[in-house]
Amino acid sequence: MFGDLRRFDTDWAPGTDWFRRLFDEMWPEPGVADIRSVPRGSFPMINVGRTDDAVRVYVFAPGLTPEALDISLQDNVLTVSGERRETPAEDEASSQRSHFRRERPQGAFSRSLALPEGLDPDRAEARFHDGICEVVLPKREELKPRRIDIQAS
Amino acid sequence: MKEVAKQAASREVAEQRERHREAMLPAVDIFEEDNALHLVADMPGVQRDTLTLEVNDNVLTLEGEVALAMPEGLTPLYAEVRAQRFARRFTLSHEIEVDAIQAHIDNGVLRLVLPKKETHRRRRIDIKTA
Repeated sequence: MFGDLRRFDTDWAPGTDWFRRLFDEMWPEPGVADIRSVPRGSFPMINVGRTDDAVRVYVFAPGLTPEALDISLQDNVLTVSGERRETPAEDEASSQRSHFRRERPQGAFSRSLALPEGLDPDRAEARFHDGICEVVLPKREELKPRRIDIQAS
Repeated sequence: MKEVAKQAASREVAEQRERHREAMLPAVDIFEEDNALHLVADMPGVQRDTLTLEVNDNVLTLEGEVALAMPEGLTPLYAEVRAQRFARRFTLSHEIEVDAIQAHIDNGVLRLVLPKKETHRRRRIDIKTA
């Protein structure tokens, strides 16, 4: 019934994200990192997939409204930015809030991601449902796979 | 016959383990306010009918299936979300009124209100002048 997210699981050892994160923290990237790159798994999490005629980007942004999320594409770099605010107490004055856990990211965020070339931003579409924003970026006509007819000699 | 049953049982165990492994931990905020505990969990893609909440033996279980329709023939290029479900468990303390727990899910954010029993509410102590 639903699309299967497990097909995104192409890594050598699934379920070891925490392990890799720990390693990444202990030994920072030895290579050259992009100056605007953020660590993997920052808020909001992003999945990117490709079909024959489009690239699809899934932004997992729970608690955001379409108005609070800003998605732009420039030179094949997709930027997702916005702000998530904490829900204020109903009765601000009289209530005291004591926190035990604060794991959910709050505040302004911005993430950039390089996408394959040859996308047509003018025909891009984005939909938002249940905290997931799906962006469909169609490929330009000349980049779509073409069937080659084999003629009998 | 016995053999078959055993095989089925071990497969079930394996499937359970598989399911457990593939669940993501949702990020949560927990705070106390107005004589209740509030739990807010990020579960993008989880809808009202794919969410299961359970309290059993003072253990609160949150489980949700990510409902995301993806087209056939989608090849992954980059992925941070690789599991199909969210799951997390918390032990509750005895002061929570289990029957009065309220839950809302909106836009991928689950909000639970766990009220405290009347006898455990915060009370203000008046200080009298001598």
